[in-house]
Amino acid sequence: MASHEEITASLLAFQEGYNKNERLKIMNRDWDRVVLVQASDIPSQHTLELRNGELSVREGAPPRADLTVIADSETLADLFYGDITPTEPYMNGTLKIIGSEDDIVRLDFISLMIWGE
Amino acid sequence: MKRVVSVSLGSSRRDHRAEVELLGERFEITRRGTDGDFDRAIQLLKELDGKVDAIGLGGIDVYLYAGRTRYVVRDGKKLMDAVRKTPVVDGSGLKNTLERETVYYLREHTDLLPPGIRVLMVSAVDRFGMAEAFAELGCDLTFGDLIFAAGIPYPIRTVKELEELAAKLLPEMTKLPFHMLYPTGKKQETQDEEKVKKFGHYYREAQVIAGDYHLVRRYMPQLDGQTIITNTTTAEDVAFLREKGTGCLVTTTPEFQGRSFGTNVMEAVLVALLQKPREEISSQDYLDLLRRLDFKPRVVYLR
Repeated sequence: MASHEEITASLLAFQEGYNKNERLKIMNRDWDRVVLVQASDIPSQHTLELRNGELSVREGAPPRADLTVIADSETLADLFYGDITPTEPYMNGTLKIIGSEDDIVRLDFISLMIWGE
Repeated sequence: MKRVVSVSLGSSRRDHRAEVELLGERFEITRRGTDGDFDRAIQLLKELDGKVDAIGLGGIDVYLYAGRTRYVVRDGKKLMDAVRKTPVVDGSGLKNTLERETVYYLREHTDLLPPGIRVLMVSAVDRFGMAEAFAELGCDLTFGDLIFAAGIPYPIRTVKELEELAAKLLPEMTKLPFHMLYPTGKKQETQDEEKVKKFGHYYREAQVIAGDYHLVRRYMPQLDGQTIITNTTTAEDVAFLREKGTGCLVTTTPEFQGRSFGTNVMEAVLVALLQKPREEISSQDYLDLLRRLDFKPRVVYLR
């Protein structure tokens, strides 16, 4: 089990990877979304916000989310640190993403662009 | 008579049967759509296994290529693995030969592909041979793989960048359910109006639009005389393209009794003609056979 602080650290690593990737920022300039990241086994909520291609991270839930990412704390930390890709846990149900299919593909894409080989 | 059947995840409205003679052999070619129903496709493949001479898989890719790397689409592979006895192909072998040759043919025999012409490929990883051929001939390229499959307004301009992005994305993206990446079943009969509005300008800025017909159709705005290079078209599709303002239609596969079949069907026909184990068939075998058959692209001016 990962702690809330570990999830925060993983999301900050994700943000750092994102912000270093200028091409990814260009690709996402049109995609303004609020993402709730919620652990299923500990009380832990974070908000990822994409606006004009910039990604910000903060602790706590947003008033309204376009997408909700739910998994156990360990999976969330592994995912945002890039130790695992989202596809497998999404396909086997360990990772649940609530939102439109297009947005889910887009989130998968961002993660692969940051951590993909 | 040899029997070739294409089992497609696409709409059953496009089902068709034709009889044709090729190199002295009679062929019955049938296309059977399963309306996006994956389980029905598996069942049908099992029923046909061992009873026909070759099977084509339509409405889905099994193999995608970027450079020398081949990526396996998980859902496509599941369909392929349902067939144990009959040779089964997805058209990717033929795309790499016939479609490459089509581009060279158009440069040599028509004025449709002069150097520097602006070409939009709606998706290139499913037609890498064609993409490479356009690049070799000095076309001004836009690859729409990210735009149309993922909704990301980022035009890829070079084969090198396409390969680089494919290496990052495809090993994982190919594990997703295929319907998340490509229109299957009923989606093939409709347009994605939001994307047409948002990304239609990529079509209008191009002089040639190339790629899979279902993708070309799904995002097509009103055109102004552009050339479309694609594969499977029915009489209904030709009417649609004419209505949308297409100037010229080029189909890479030959027409049998009023329609061109998919590359998967044509590859299955070639496999049945070659009578060699699938794993022993090379690109050169296909090229040699295509020359003997004297297949040429069909060029139809629509206005």
